[in-house]
Amino acid sequence: MKQILPENISTYGGEVDSLFFTITLFVVLAFAISIAALIIPLFRYRYKEGRKSSRVRGIGMKQMRWVFAGMLVMALCDFYMLYAEHSTWVKMEETLPEQEDFHVVITGRQWNWIFTYPGPDNKLYTADDVIVNRMNSSLHVPAGKNIIIDIKAIDVIHSVFFKNIRLKQDAIPGRTITRWFNVTKPGKYEIACAEICGVLHSKMRSYLVVQEEDEFNRFLSELYAEKQK
Amino acid sequence: MNIAHHEMSFWRRYIFSTDHKVIGFQYLITGLIMAAIGGYLAYVFRYNLAFPAESIPLFGSLGPKEYNAFITSHGAIMIFWVAMPLLLAALGNLLIPTMIGTDDMAFPTLNMLSYWFFFLSAIVLLLSFFVPSGPFDGGWTLYPPLSADAYINTEPDIWKSFMTGGTLIILALALEFVSMLMGGINFLVTTINKRAKGMTLLKMPIVVWFINFAVIDFMFSVGPIIAGAFMLLLDRVAGTGFFDAYRGGDPVLFQHMFWFFGHPEVYVLLFPSLGVIAEVISTFSRKALFGYKFIIKASLIAIVLSVVVWAHHQFIAGIDPRMATFFSIGTILISIPFAGIMLSYIATLWGGNIQLKVPMMWALGFIAIFLVGGLTGLYLGSDTFDIYVHDTSFVVAHFHYTLFPITFFGFFAAFYYWFPKFTGRMYNTVLAKIHFWFTFIFFQGFAFPIFFLGLDGQHRRINDYSAFDSLMSSWHISFRQFATISAIILILSQFIFLFNLLKSLRSGKKSEENPWKANTLEWQTTSPPPHGNFVKYPQVYRDPYDYGNPDMKEDYLPQNKVI
Repeated sequence: MKQILPENISTYGGEVDSLFFTITLFVVLAFAISIAALIIPLFRYRYKEGRKSSRVRGIGMKQMRWVFAGMLVMALCDFYMLYAEHSTWVKMEETLPEQEDFHVVITGRQWNWIFTYPGPDNKLYTADDVIVNRMNSSLHVPAGKNIIIDIKAIDVIHSVFFKNIRLKQDAIPGRTITRWFNVTKPGKYEIACAEICGVLHSKMRSYLVVQEEDEFNRFLSELYAEKQK
Repeated sequence: MNIAHHEMSFWRRYIFSTDHKVIGFQYLITGLIMAAIGGYLAYVFRYNLAFPAESIPLFGSLGPKEYNAFITSHGAIMIFWVAMPLLLAALGNLLIPTMIGTDDMAFPTLNMLSYWFFFLSAIVLLLSFFVPSGPFDGGWTLYPPLSADAYINTEPDIWKSFMTGGTLIILALALEFVSMLMGGINFLVTTINKRAKGMTLLKMPIVVWFINFAVIDFMFSVGPIIAGAFMLLLDRVAGTGFFDAYRGGDPVLFQHMFWFFGHPEVYVLLFPSLGVIAEVISTFSRKALFGYKFIIKASLIAIVLSVVVWAHHQFIAGIDPRMATFFSIGTILISIPFAGIMLSYIATLWGGNIQLKVPMMWALGFIAIFLVGGLTGLYLGSDTFDIYVHDTSFVVAHFHYTLFPITFFGFFAAFYYWFPKFTGRMYNTVLAKIHFWFTFIFFQGFAFPIFFLGLDGQHRRINDYSAFDSLMSSWHISFRQFATISAIILILSQFIFLFNLLKSLRSGKKSEENPWKANTLEWQTTSPPPHGNFVKYPQVYRDPYDYGNPDMKEDYLPQNKVI
């Protein structure tokens, strides 16, 4: 049997996955209890001619105790979930790692992702940046490093979706949104555009290629050599 | 209808009618026709999704642009031209005057205007299928810049820039909001001013409360989207740049304006439906609604919370991540009052004397499905997990698990409950039960697999997944096909309803005045109610849920009965 979530390759993705199992536990329990409470009376209080129903109307704390208990359990589950997830949110969305190992720009346009790598000076937004702009291109990153991504869009809103990293971020025209990830497992993974962006939205696919450091450095030097030509 | 009243021409009586029952039926019929169109669109694009290479029976082949246009139109039609007229306008018109014991709405002419604005809005929307650009194809949420292409730059002809799908859908929405505002103010004024003698606010049936809550929530939230839609219209036809980042505008601003309305809109649809379920459950449990006052208070809290949760649709839309935490807390908090309301409904069953008649089956089906929809909201309300499932099929499954029971289970519960009252005829209960089981089972077959596709990272609004090898494994394909085949059976089983409706209207058994032995006022007049609803205006003596009174011979006690 297949796993429910796809393979995770990022350092923080495991926290997202365990959050999924925590929420699932609450959801399944709450659903099972509520459905039991819904179905049992259908048998227990089947219609009998001439029988009169209970006059309990849910007035006052005593009669409402089960409803309030249910709400309290719901509230406790809610707050536990918010508590459990918040550190992951801060890690993924609000902060960047102290050490930046590699920095790239991902730009959405109709209908492909543009990847901008820093040039030999290892700095972005300088004249020697290398821009890869074609359909079905790949984003190469080194494994086990903190990768900082600047997410941009040229024409309409796109949304870069690395499902194996558990990261998704809308790309908004006129803005630069910075996120980060650290991927540990070399391989080739899909990058999708998750926000409807026009006719060929379905075809807007790139690959994330995670490479060991020496292999990645070889890729970069080839990229620079190609630009020199 | 055999209403014998002063002579009026056919046009005045049935077309430009000011009678709330006729207007209610007009909304109902228009809503059902639009539902058929929305269902047909769903059939076409679901078929395309499951069998991408094949030509679609009764349609032909569907390109990516048409696919986007069809999902957009399906979403917009089902929410604004099906759920709104069926749940808010039709139920409000039919139920409010009869349940509060009055002859008609406070402003009958405004009521008529409200319907005709609605009719016009539906025509304008459908017109977009016949303009050269085709219907709008950027998603029903109308996010700019995709929706804001200033056609004026390429087409200097202002008429041509109006006659595009995107402009027409904005105009249609504007007309629909005008219509619902006119209808809504009428509901509020009628409820406040025209209640029968003795009917204090706390003796009103819960569905009347809830329709008014829906109107209040609508009025609170609709302002920003009207402004946003107007700015979007100007961006399209006059070349302004309100949402154009390169000219000082901001695309995300529109999303805030849209969802400030868009999220409460869900509650605008939910409340009338929840009200119907409350009436049905109380009547068929032969027991008072559990926690009447508590339900009203919890709903008021939910309304207040509903206008501070909108940005949970935008967790990853580039808003400040620290702000997302606030909206995540608000979203999760709203589960608490709704949990209380659902538990009160379930508590109504305990100690009752439960009759599993047709409307009751729909009401119980509503609760079962809506529980799944509500609980899966926890995954999306958690901002961290939302990063992953946002814009995937998980969201699609989630909102079908909420909006489908709200729109259709709520509507069918109401339909099978009040049909005998407003037509004077009874339907075939065997067919009605078959209709229920087909709808219930094949809805699960359609929507449940989509949760798993979404959890596996299948992103939404894609006409063809062939570019993504990881989404083309055999289980992905068979899940999509299973969902589509279930959806097709789900749509086909609505013909059972249609057949039953038409047959019962022609030759159904005559219905009694009060076939369910219910307490509320609409059951205490003839079926169908005469013009003016009541021969003698009722006087109300008690609350609407006095079932199982030990001092009475019968197990029910109508609101207006003199002891």
